[in-house]
Amino acid sequence: MIRKYSLFLLLFLQIQILNAQDKPTRFTISGYVKDAATGEALIGANVYLRETMKGVQTNTYGYYSITVDAADSITLMSSFVGYSDYMQKMHITKDVRININLRNKYIETQEVVITAKKEDQNVNSTQMGTVQLDVEQIKTLPAFMGEVDILKTIQLLPGVQSAGEGNTGFYVRGGGPDQNLILLDEALVYNASHLFGFFSVFNSDAINNVSLIKGGMPANYGGRLASVLDISLKEGNNKEFKAEGGLGPIASRLTLQGPIQKEKSSFIVSGRRTFIDLFQRPPFVKKGSNAANNTYYFYDLNAKINYQLSDKDRLFLSGYFGRDVFNFKSADTGFKFRIPWGNATAVLRWNHLFSDKLFVNTSIIFSDYNFAFSAKQESFSFNIFSGIRDYNAKIDFNWFPIITHNVKFGVNYTYHRFTPTSAEASQDSTEFDLGGVNRLYAHEAAAYINDDWTISDKFSVSAGLRYSLFDFTGPFTRYVKNEDNETVDTIYYKTNETVGFYHGLEPRISAKFSLDKNSSIKASFTQNYQYVHLASFTSVTLPTDVWVPSSDRVKPQDGRLYAAGYFRNFHQNMFETSVEVYYKTMRNQIEYREGAQADDDVKNNTDNNFVFGKGWSYGAEFFIKKAKGKLNGWVGYTLSFTDRKFPDIMNGKTFPAKYDRRHDISVVVSYNASKSWTFGLTWVYATGNATTLPVSRYFMFGPLDLQGVVSSGLPNMSSGQIYDVYGDRNSYRMAAYHRLDLSATYIRKKTKRFESSWNFSIYNVYSRMNPYFIYFNNEVDKETGEFKIQAKQVSLFPIIPSVTYNFKF
Amino acid sequence: MKINHLKLLVLIFSAIVLFISCEKDITVNLPKQKQQYVVEGYIENGLPAYVMLSKTADYFSPVDSTALQQYMVKNATIVISDGDITDTLLQVDPSIGYFYFSPKIIGQTGKNYSLRIITPDNELLTAETKMLPAVPLDSVWFKIQEGKDSLGYVWAHLKDPDTLGNCYRWFAKRLNKDKMFIAPSGSVFEDKFINGKAFDFAYNRGHLPNSTASEDENEEAGFYKTGDTIMVKFCTITEESYKFWRQAESQAGSSGSPFGSPAVFPTNIKGGIGIFEAFNPTFYTVIAKKPD
Repeated sequence: MIRKYSLFLLLFLQIQILNAQDKPTRFTISGYVKDAATGEALIGANVYLRETMKGVQTNTYGYYSITVDAADSITLMSSFVGYSDYMQKMHITKDVRININLRNKYIETQEVVITAKKEDQNVNSTQMGTVQLDVEQIKTLPAFMGEVDILKTIQLLPGVQSAGEGNTGFYVRGGGPDQNLILLDEALVYNASHLFGFFSVFNSDAINNVSLIKGGMPANYGGRLASVLDISLKEGNNKEFKAEGGLGPIASRLTLQGPIQKEKSSFIVSGRRTFIDLFQRPPFVKKGSNAANNTYYFYDLNAKINYQLSDKDRLFLSGYFGRDVFNFKSADTGFKFRIPWGNATAVLRWNHLFSDKLFVNTSIIFSDYNFAFSAKQESFSFNIFSGIRDYNAKIDFNWFPIITHNVKFGVNYTYHRFTPTSAEASQDSTEFDLGGVNRLYAHEAAAYINDDWTISDKFSVSAGLRYSLFDFTGPFTRYVKNEDNETVDTIYYKTNETVGFYHGLEPRISAKFSLDKNSSIKASFTQNYQYVHLASFTSVTLPTDVWVPSSDRVKPQDGRLYAAGYFRNFHQNMFETSVEVYYKTMRNQIEYREGAQADDDVKNNTDNNFVFGKGWSYGAEFFIKKAKGKLNGWVGYTLSFTDRKFPDIMNGKTFPAKYDRRHDISVVVSYNASKSWTFGLTWVYATGNATTLPVSRYFMFGPLDLQGVVSSGLPNMSSGQIYDVYGDRNSYRMAAYHRLDLSATYIRKKTKRFESSWNFSIYNVYSRMNPYFIYFNNEVDKETGEFKIQAKQVSLFPIIPSVTYNFKF
Repeated sequence: MKINHLKLLVLIFSAIVLFISCEKDITVNLPKQKQQYVVEGYIENGLPAYVMLSKTADYFSPVDSTALQQYMVKNATIVISDGDITDTLLQVDPSIGYFYFSPKIIGQTGKNYSLRIITPDNELLTAETKMLPAVPLDSVWFKIQEGKDSLGYVWAHLKDPDTLGNCYRWFAKRLNKDKMFIAPSGSVFEDKFINGKAFDFAYNRGHLPNSTASEDENEEAGFYKTGDTIMVKFCTITEESYKFWRQAESQAGSSGSPFGSPAVFPTNIKGGIGIFEAFNPTFYTVIAKKPD
């Protein structure tokens, strides 16, 4: 352990030496890059010197710092997706603070360009597998049922797959849905979807920035194997009060933002709610009718305030609260239930500048996801609940010693409280023994250092090291099971006694070598540990899926990703192209053992029902993007292979993961026809999902009525039941998935004060009946008593047009 | 009696899916499989032991009664021993095979049974089971469901013994209406959550698989009606048979949804699939009538 720590020290010392070499003739230019109209921080904006083309990207708070040798004349440049470039010639003789305000090109020219970054960023940055999305641009693309959804746009990128029809879940390079680190203003979001995944919890009106890292994860991120989706909420306009909102077929939205103290502090509040249930009550439907008894709604609330304490200190407080609620009451049987579920997060952050070169952020974060189900029928009542709650504190330093280095280091601590499925049931005064509330506690901590180092004009490296540890502690009762899954012993762990302890080093490295001005090759290696696991019973992600910690039985997930790529731009960066290949291994993957049922979790340890195995994935991703012009967009193609191998599933035979998808194509086009009209098109094609189908069947009567048999012979065949024998797991491929969506956005009557727009979207334009699942229908012919079996393919969404109205003033 | 939250969610989800989805007939090509032997061996307290032996069929093969005969296995050597007597079972109709019984092995509480089958192609199938003591119900009654005029469920009061590991199965039939005892969906339960408790529970009326009777499709479906004479057969079963039937009922109830369970049934037959079980019933008769 000491030896492992010493590695950190070594890295740190090297950087110190670098710093010591700092000559006194160097000066620092630093400041914030912001939107000129709203004062919103621009995250990931490029700030660089025109002479050397060297520079940095702004951090999550829009801060940058560049330290250069004194020079008579330099040209400071800044650029950002959808914004006009900034350029200033200057003479530097001392440290200077320059806050850069960029003007939104979209507002000026009405030209939505699907672009980002310094124009050759994709070729020149060391990062690979990182994509930043512009929320304004996403809003002009086709929207499913009129709800703009960033998670669905992400699925259009190569290497990212959709979890299924209309679903917000995504799989990155063969990783499971639980292997994505989804952060909303640094707070972990454990379940990012509403209504069984059809809509995400992210209200696009409240979002400033979205960035996805699907490979080469820097060391400041950890705890998940596959990807990071880092979402920043808007800070609120600090110049003037603004309202915006919209009305779509599913939900309505309203966002208010404005300064509290001009240029010093601001706020934003944003809400979204579905409204179908409001029509499920009198006078629209009869009281007591089924429509009135069965209601569903979801809502989201985002709020954020920030306050500039001084030139060097800034505070942010932000939060999210969202719920899905389903109510059901059967008029027939008197059976009723209520299911609420959702996330809550709260984040307090403090930015502090120790110097122009050293930026530090301290965060205190609360994150909670819970699911509850309460049912009642006559005197019988039943409650079930599950969830996870995190208390998290972290300090992140960002140090810019010299223009060729951008160093990040920090520490992170999380206290987890897991509630795997717990249940209570009672009948009148009889309480059933369901094992009581089941809570698990764990500590997770990490320390990291990462340096982006521009070694020469051609060669740059981003190297990092993360050390993470996980300690699952009591109170905890382990039910020890025998081969027949019967409890043979119980072990009791006292409060704070360790049930499972794991730690490890996670090296991360990526390197870039420029071949010429327009092309480069990149390679990366990342090692990740993931200490929490999502257990899912079904092939669909449900709110009942439970999070469980690594324990004495469950080892941490261990992922390694090797990637390499070739990047090239054409025609003065009008076209960006890339080819990336990757190979990824995942150890200590979990699945429920075959035949496990939901109630096996009660009065048991959830992880007693798991089996363990490994997985691997490899593939190639091709990407062509037209980044400029009235007509712009991209085409992505992914070829990939993803397999799993579990000793206890099919006797250790390799099987395709449910997210194994051989071919995946996305086409995204945006056309700015005029000042008022923008058109969007997306087309996706994917190899059919892997599924498990029955291959043979048999017939059983069950215990017979022997007296009946004696008097009238064996019962008729129709009184027997047919059972299925299933084939190899995920061995059957459903038909391929493809779909075309179109959109048109019309911006109406734009005055300084009021702007409104209409978005018309058509989902599944040619109404392709994409397979959602296959089932077999057994029917008995009433006349002949014969069975007939027919395979049926169920499809979810045919062509669905939608209209959304948006306003801003 | 049991409320399974996952199943309910599945139900809600399926309702949403049904509301918006559409379906079409397709053709699927399934790989050919090796046939497996299917054993149903039952020993009920006080009655002769019997075994039904068949084979699995290709998924799309026809299942009319003539086709079925080719999956019925005849001329197998089937031997059951109860520790004292060992007997080779007889075929009721040697031209069909399938149904084998022993007039000598009569179910008896406390006995351990072993089964040994040698198939015509010389495969060996074996299994073991035991007859547990019957746990009777305290009382059984009919109750009209709230809001209904003449329809209701059968209720019972059970005092579960203190020892953990009791498993039960519920069958019922209406006199002169049902030809045989029928197990409703969710017919098996264990005492994991109810160990040592005394409580009331209810069952709805089960129907035969694939029943097309009008009373199984109209508002009477699942209900007993005033005037019915209901016989309840409440069995103490082994944990093995609990697990087997739980999985079997789960598959029968979920076929046709993405939540269908592709799990292998936990069989106690070595060399084949199916179940060999001894069970110990107690019987009750209830007349469904309105409260006085």
